[in-house]
Amino acid sequence: MFEKVLLKNAEKPDAHGIEAYEAAGGYQALAKVLREFSPDGLIQLVKDSNLKGRGGAGFPTGLKWGFVPKDSDKPKYLCCNADESEPGTFKDRVIMEGDPHMMLEGMALASYAIGAEVAYLYIRGEFVLCIERLETALDEAYRKGYLGRDILGSGFNLDIHMHLGAGAYICGEETAMLESIEGRRGEPKLKPPFPAVAGLYECPTVINNVETLACLPHIVNRGVEWFRGIGPEQSPGPKLYCLSGHVQKPGVYELPMGISLRELVDDHAGGARPGRKIKAVIPGGVSAPMIPESGLDVTMDFESLTAIDTMLGSAGVIVLDDGDCIVRAAKNINEFFHEESCGKCTPCREGLDWTGKILHRMEAGEGRQGDLEQLDFLCGSIFGNSFCALGDGAAWALKAAITQFRDEFVQHVEEGRCPFH
Amino acid sequence: MAKITIDGNTREVADGTLILEAAMEQGIDIPTFCYMARLAPLASCRMCLVEIEGQGKLQPSCATTVADGMVVRTDTPLVAETRKSMLELLLANHPLDCPVCDKSGECELQDQVFEYGAGEARFQDQKRVFYSKDIDLNPVIIFNAQRCIQCQRCVRICEEVVGAVALGTVEKGMDTKVTGFENSLAGCDHCGNCIEVCPVGALMSTPYRYKARPWDLKETDTICPYCGTGCHLSISVRDGQLSRVRSKYETGVNGETLCVKGRFGIDFIDGDNRLRTPLVRKEGGLTAVSWEEAAAFIAERADGAIEKGGSGLGGLASPRLNNESLYLFQKLMRTAFRTNSIDSSSRWSAAGPGAYQSLEGLFGGLYARRSLHQVLEADCILILGATVTDETPVTEYMVRGVARSRGTKLFIASARPSRLDSEAISSLRFVPGAEAYLLSALLNGIEGAEKTFANMGALKKSLLKAAKTPPPEFGEFLEKARTAFGAAESVTLLIGADLLRSPGAAAALSMVHGLGRVLDALGKRAEVQFLFDRPNQMGAWELGVLPGLLPGWRPVGDAAVRAPFEEAWGASLPADSGADFRRMLERSEAGKMDVLYVAGSDPLLSYPDGGLVESALSKARLLIVQDAFMTGTARLADVVLPAATFAEEPGTFTNNEGKVQELRPIRRPAFESKPNAEIFALVAEALGRDLGPVSPDAVFAEIAHLVPSYRGLSRDGLGDDGSYTRPFAEENGGDLDDPPLAAPRRTKGLELVTGDSMFHSGYLSGNSPVLGNLSAKAYVEMNPDAAAGLELADGSGVVVRSSHGEMKARLKLNKRFPAGVVFVPDNFADARLNRLLKHGEYPCPVEVQRE
Repeated sequence: MFEKVLLKNAEKPDAHGIEAYEAAGGYQALAKVLREFSPDGLIQLVKDSNLKGRGGAGFPTGLKWGFVPKDSDKPKYLCCNADESEPGTFKDRVIMEGDPHMMLEGMALASYAIGAEVAYLYIRGEFVLCIERLETALDEAYRKGYLGRDILGSGFNLDIHMHLGAGAYICGEETAMLESIEGRRGEPKLKPPFPAVAGLYECPTVINNVETLACLPHIVNRGVEWFRGIGPEQSPGPKLYCLSGHVQKPGVYELPMGISLRELVDDHAGGARPGRKIKAVIPGGVSAPMIPESGLDVTMDFESLTAIDTMLGSAGVIVLDDGDCIVRAAKNINEFFHEESCGKCTPCREGLDWTGKILHRMEAGEGRQGDLEQLDFLCGSIFGNSFCALGDGAAWALKAAITQFRDEFVQHVEEGRCPFH
Repeated sequence: MAKITIDGNTREVADGTLILEAAMEQGIDIPTFCYMARLAPLASCRMCLVEIEGQGKLQPSCATTVADGMVVRTDTPLVAETRKSMLELLLANHPLDCPVCDKSGECELQDQVFEYGAGEARFQDQKRVFYSKDIDLNPVIIFNAQRCIQCQRCVRICEEVVGAVALGTVEKGMDTKVTGFENSLAGCDHCGNCIEVCPVGALMSTPYRYKARPWDLKETDTICPYCGTGCHLSISVRDGQLSRVRSKYETGVNGETLCVKGRFGIDFIDGDNRLRTPLVRKEGGLTAVSWEEAAAFIAERADGAIEKGGSGLGGLASPRLNNESLYLFQKLMRTAFRTNSIDSSSRWSAAGPGAYQSLEGLFGGLYARRSLHQVLEADCILILGATVTDETPVTEYMVRGVARSRGTKLFIASARPSRLDSEAISSLRFVPGAEAYLLSALLNGIEGAEKTFANMGALKKSLLKAAKTPPPEFGEFLEKARTAFGAAESVTLLIGADLLRSPGAAAALSMVHGLGRVLDALGKRAEVQFLFDRPNQMGAWELGVLPGLLPGWRPVGDAAVRAPFEEAWGASLPADSGADFRRMLERSEAGKMDVLYVAGSDPLLSYPDGGLVESALSKARLLIVQDAFMTGTARLADVVLPAATFAEEPGTFTNNEGKVQELRPIRRPAFESKPNAEIFALVAEALGRDLGPVSPDAVFAEIAHLVPSYRGLSRDGLGDDGSYTRPFAEENGGDLDDPPLAAPRRTKGLELVTGDSMFHSGYLSGNSPVLGNLSAKAYVEMNPDAAAGLELADGSGVVVRSSHGEMKARLKLNKRFPAGVVFVPDNFADARLNRLLKHGEYPCPVEVQRE
């Protein structure tokens, strides 16, 4: 049986207070680092652990920290990306609700590593309970001296400011998040300069995901060998998987990186509902192309999923069964991206409007000859040409649905109705 | 340098160059909507995507800088296909209402679809519609949201260049709209630069709406008549009627920008108040007559006076007239009227002979006769006595640009606040009069400066006299400015019109010299430019429209100086030093003025001691007024000569950069009016004098022959961008005066200052229907706390009273105004502000009370 670390406290009732966290060994990692590690030492430790970012892109965390210029006389910032908004994704929320101090300790460690004395916690505004718990947790951490001036007598200072998002998915994109924190319209910015060089207020900035930060205390406490011993070599560690859709036991599961998707869906989440068969699975939030049932033996890690032209993303696993209409699913997903496109670049703004119009008609039984070719054209025009990953993800996911389930789309047009509804 | 290969051609280009710019330099066209050289890259339209070897995805060439060894292709099928699909997407929701769109025919979307587009539309679903009717964002800007392609140039130019941030973006995705709060543009300058940069017909000019198709327009490139920035204008005429004014992309000092006056205020040329025929005062008032009759009238009335000679004659000309007219005016006054009483600076009551002497020295050397863009490349800029945002707005855009992009250290010392303050390291509000004091206090604190004072001649005394511990309200500003000046390698001083109004103008100008010399001695480069709010002040002065000074700043009392002019003009010249306009008025009031010739100026509106002006002008035996408009002064005249506007006669202006730029007429003079030069020739002829050839070429050649700073220039050779005049004296030569230093004034009461507002500048703008509509009435601007102390509320009617007179207007509160200062714009005729002002006293102590 896999030993849970990320959900160990969170799954206990009322373990979100600082006493419970301390009793379980909380803030020991911070104490140890402040006592025994130089910032560079901590960066090296995280590099050695091969921790990859859990926000979706899977970029090595230690490497990202290493990009922060050492000789800059500007202040440095850490931003915690807690704007979890990808449909099918609800793992960060579980950490913040159930074990907020674990993430705060992670933020303190990351800030120490990069030399930040101010950190921002950008949180999705709808996460009301998370915000409440984090406000309490911040108060507690300040009171106990884990935050503020001269933390644990080390001379290290850190203030954490919580910034509530106002409901835009795009603000989970790191540069749009920085714009939003600065009080500007949430739109992605040009890179380069990368945030590590010129991010928040033009200062060196590191943006890490909640789950990434939550891994840090454990890496410090239990060591690199332990961490690398979990899951595949190239992307090790414990991982939170969000199971939703038509499975018997939806929820958040902590399991090693690299578990097979079939095992995850069938053994852990209880498989399809009685009398139903799984048709397809979206492995990493709705930006990730869906995998037909035949492909479920893939392992859940960054590299394996990329190899079959999809992605681990946020590990938001959405299961579709044989009662689900792929056209409708594609339309719903498209509607989300259409609504959440910031409007900055042409392909995403205009393209998703027209894919939406066509999918809507198709699903309503008003599909026309040529619609599918128009969708093909639109996916091709958006993918690879949009300013940020939002448009790319939307087109990538739609293209996969059309490619793998083209018959269903054709059927909608030819029959002039949805065969499922 | 980086070696980059684009479409097979390898070139070296400077590091930091964008691929798009490198391609343009090679003549390779890359289409784009969101790119503008002056704006920060956005890379949102995706039209400029190119292939870069080794990159998996196409990259935006407008935001990707070159790297050594980079191989770029803009001519592949993938690039062409991508451009085509971006255009198809942009057109999919675009209304295609081109037949009724003002932009049609000069629309970038049209052009690019023609060049790169698919030629047919594949989508058939309903297009997006925001509104069924276009929205009037304000009286000059109208918006069609459907046509917008989201390039954000408008929003960016408003924020990055103009600094107004009146436009923004609301909603997201397909619902994204450019607008202001509640669909109105609070804080909008009405400059219309958003319209100018809009690639499609989304933002449109209301005055131009449905006026013409672009291909019906006759466009003439000329220079703006409002301020001394000297912006390039393109004026379009349809069937002889003014249609619109535009700025052109990267053309002129202004690039693609203008201010509200330049873009919307040129309609004064068709103002209701234009003079149609010559008028002569007869029984029952001014009566329309022929040109011959008017000339005969002048000859008959002036002859005796000219024979008497000297002090009974004088002339005032406006620095809004072109160089050729101004030159001919002083030639006419000196040769035909035989007087040296000539002035062109009537607004500046305080700038007396001492000031002109300093000006001569300044223009001889320290004055930077070169591009403002280059002058702004200094490490440190001090703006003194100017409200740049209102007086010279396009210059303001440029200063904002360097402050933001180069991190130039900007300091502003002025009476009024402005939007530019937010770009400054420090801004100082002070009451005009303390400029010399301020400069010497600044110099005194610069590290190592004191050692240089010994070589500053008489100025040394003043420099040392200035308090090293200035009044506390100067403290922070001085401290920061001294540090910045001390660290800078180059310093630019920009001087506004406020300084010339001040009684301390002469002292301040001496101290400007001192500043130049001290900084020079410290090994720093120091440059000075004026920020005149009139288009040709520099021309007026250099061409001798000054009492006592012949063209080229040369003293008329010196026979050797007069000799070449006498030879060239074929006339002996009077040797007396002449009177300035103040003395002319005094003589007239005393009944001793036989002939007063006012060209293009309305002293009744603008000259202090309004009561005296009215009485004195009425007492002149022959008041000749030559103007395009029926001004208040013209109403008092005995003869009124209708003149062409700047847009109806050829000529040149010399702008604040010292650059001579060509004015090109857009049409013949309206009604029976004539070009100013021709009128001067006509008057001379009536008086039995020949002014010589008055064609612009001939007059310019004469100027170039006689005036050192114009030597070597020719009208033919000015080129599209104009040519710079040159300094004529040895660098920083001559002795420096020891000016009297007035310590900062401290009064418990209120001090009235005046000047331009954003919408108005003298009587010219008052004749513009659009500007009149945007700002119709005089107002009194002051600090809310000061107003509260007087129990005055925003918008209430108030009386402003000085020891001289009073005026009434509405109160406008501005929290950034200093407590002791009150501002009233100087252009509103019915306010008669000049009745409050007293000659030689500026600012003017006033009381403000509830009406």
